[in-house]
Amino acid sequence: MKLTFKIWILLILVFFSLVAIFGIPPKAIQSGVLITDVEKSSSVFEQGLRAGDILISVNGNSIKNLEDYSQIVSEYPKLNEERITFLTQNKKEIIVFEKEFPPISISKIPQTNIELGLDLAGGSRALIKAENKSLTSEEASDLATITANRLNAFGLTDLFVTSVSDLSGNNFMLIEIAGATPKDLRNLISEQGEFEARIGNKTVFTGGERDIASVGRDAQNARIESCDQSSDGTYYCTFSFTITLSPEAAKKHADITSNLGVNMTSQGNYLSEKLDLILDGNLVDSLLISEGLKGQLTTQISISGSGTGQTYDDALNSAKENMKKLQTILMTGSLPYKLEIVKLDTISPTLGKEIIKTIIFTALGIILIVALTLFFRYKSFKSSLALVATTISEVIIILGVAAMIRWNIDLPGIAGILATLGTGVDDLIILLDESNQKVILSLKQRLKRGFVIIMGAYFTTFASLLPLIWAGAGLLKGFAITTMIGISVGVFITRPAFSDMIKGLKKE
Amino acid sequence: MKIAKLHDKYYKKILIFPAILIIISLIYLINFNTINGDFIYKDISLTGGTTITIYGEINQAELESFLLGKLEDLNTRQVYDFTTREQKAIIIETTSEGEYSLNLIEEFLGYELTEGENFDFEFTGSSLSENFYKQLLFAILLAFILMAVVVFIIFRTAIPSLAVIISAFANILMTLVFVNLIGMKMSTAGIVAFLMLIGYSVDTDILLTNRVLKRKEGTINQRIFGAFKTGMTMTLTSLFAFLFALFLVKSFSNVLTQIFSILVIGLGFDLINTWITNVSIIKWYAERKK
Repeated sequence: MKLTFKIWILLILVFFSLVAIFGIPPKAIQSGVLITDVEKSSSVFEQGLRAGDILISVNGNSIKNLEDYSQIVSEYPKLNEERITFLTQNKKEIIVFEKEFPPISISKIPQTNIELGLDLAGGSRALIKAENKSLTSEEASDLATITANRLNAFGLTDLFVTSVSDLSGNNFMLIEIAGATPKDLRNLISEQGEFEARIGNKTVFTGGERDIASVGRDAQNARIESCDQSSDGTYYCTFSFTITLSPEAAKKHADITSNLGVNMTSQGNYLSEKLDLILDGNLVDSLLISEGLKGQLTTQISISGSGTGQTYDDALNSAKENMKKLQTILMTGSLPYKLEIVKLDTISPTLGKEIIKTIIFTALGIILIVALTLFFRYKSFKSSLALVATTISEVIIILGVAAMIRWNIDLPGIAGILATLGTGVDDLIILLDESNQKVILSLKQRLKRGFVIIMGAYFTTFASLLPLIWAGAGLLKGFAITTMIGISVGVFITRPAFSDMIKGLKKE
Repeated sequence: MKIAKLHDKYYKKILIFPAILIIISLIYLINFNTINGDFIYKDISLTGGTTITIYGEINQAELESFLLGKLEDLNTRQVYDFTTREQKAIIIETTSEGEYSLNLIEEFLGYELTEGENFDFEFTGSSLSENFYKQLLFAILLAFILMAVVVFIIFRTAIPSLAVIISAFANILMTLVFVNLIGMKMSTAGIVAFLMLIGYSVDTDILLTNRVLKRKEGTINQRIFGAFKTGMTMTLTSLFAFLFALFLVKSFSNVLTQIFSILVIGLGFDLINTWITNVSIIKWYAERKK
């Protein structure tokens, strides 16, 4: 069989698709671990270690897999060392001086570049609208920016926040967090986080960049102060962290405090009014202001609060959580609207592997059944083989395109690919039958007539998929786009190549 | 050719068969709509509600009898490995409040559930799903209109184009009735399957119409028979493939199960609607033009 121009195009595209899917060198044979998350306040982050880096060695010990990594992490405290050297695949060398191993989230290097949707890879997804208000698209996108900042500040990095709209013109915010399913996503977005620091009835400062220059989050500037047991047996822990006020907020603080009186107590001299910290209408803490601060332009302020629990650990965790929440809100400011979650899905990655296994099996089975049916119909081994090869290359190209444009393959997307296989095979049958027709036309003309039918079928399917891109806030976009890619690849690349293959086979 | 002669004699008359089916289907659907207030049974992805997936081996019958009467619109099903038949998870669907449902399930299980570890949670608000549903219906309508426009552009003649559109319509209508008869609760995925069906069902119709109208060689009957052979191979191949897929995905994915079920049903009706409805109309048209 002669390799014509069209067949060459198909082969080249299959090659590039394989490269796009598996990477060069193939990811499956690379060693190391993938860093999925680095906490922003950590020393390793400051030194430049980022999510997405591939870690290949720590302190000279090479890391081939997750076991190597966890062994190093567990052994590090016993070594009594204070210096850790990280080496990444792209030759980044990061040195930190820590007694404790820095908190880094890692995972196996994915074997392919295909990104799986939430329903296969696991994660959470929330569709959110403003309560009692319909958002304009600008408002929705502003909201998405603020929320992304807030979630980032909270330490969630592997996430995707965007504004989406649907066919009826409603605007939503869509949050997707891959991998692990954080239980606090719900709290973080369901609370507006309106923060206010008041002296008497005057607001001194609120959260956000305008009032707060920086929020202390490292060990020196943020800590759990103490944990105690109350008389009723429950525990409570207090935390404190420092913040730096902007010059405007500091001036406001000075103006308000300059008019206050002084109370003398046995513990010291304090101003007559306290600094009340109020979060979403609830008093978090009341801080005494020492006499020395009266009328002073102070920029450094210590914020404190507490957490309670039935056990010591519960109280400690609750205090840590409350501190993190308060820090987040002070950094990012409050959300402009009270929000309502209209759809929330959390999917653990447990079933994903199972599903993928079954799907690959299903796809192979479908191809086999198609091949057998066609073999019985046409009694031509070569044509059936050409058809199977074309179908497989079609799947490879679809996945290649998906990997290239970083399109997530989700469950509806897979349905789309399987559907494409179906129409694809239909078209190939049309071509085979046209080529077998007993008319006095040349083979080329006969195949051309087949293409008229195929193009008709293509345009009807393409047109019928269009509305789905927007319907339902785009949650079914995966299906629509994958199918569109699939049928387009089929009509413009694989089918022309297949018709050349038939021509080649007929000549033999 | 005995069949050809028989067909020549009766092809107009057998149009009564699909016509009756269409009329009965329409009456059934109108009646269905007055009773249920809608054209389909909707599952919670369209009505709003909570889906809770709990991992591990859990006795479905016991759990269901425990929750029955406590949770509204309760529906449970198992997820299992298709090779070992080992139960992987159980899925509970309800329109009751999520937190309340979880507490009940924990009470039955006797252990605590941790999100993302031993259970998954999916919630859809009812206002949103209502909105989704409306939009999906609109999407189907729009898809159908766009398909019809493309068909008109391809054939540029009224009756053959209408024949294709009527067959596609009858196909969707009959599938919808069948799905209701077996009591399938439709999800968003199911509606998507209907959309796919629009694309699938016109394929063979376009093939037939093109072969009959745009070809000159052979008699009309020969052209129809040629198209029939090709079309049957197409539809049967897809049918076999989808039946096989249905058999496999049934164990784990409701989304895919519903999509393939609807496609299988739809392709079945496509055989009637293409090779009776569309063939008779196009033959009638071609004979008159001669």
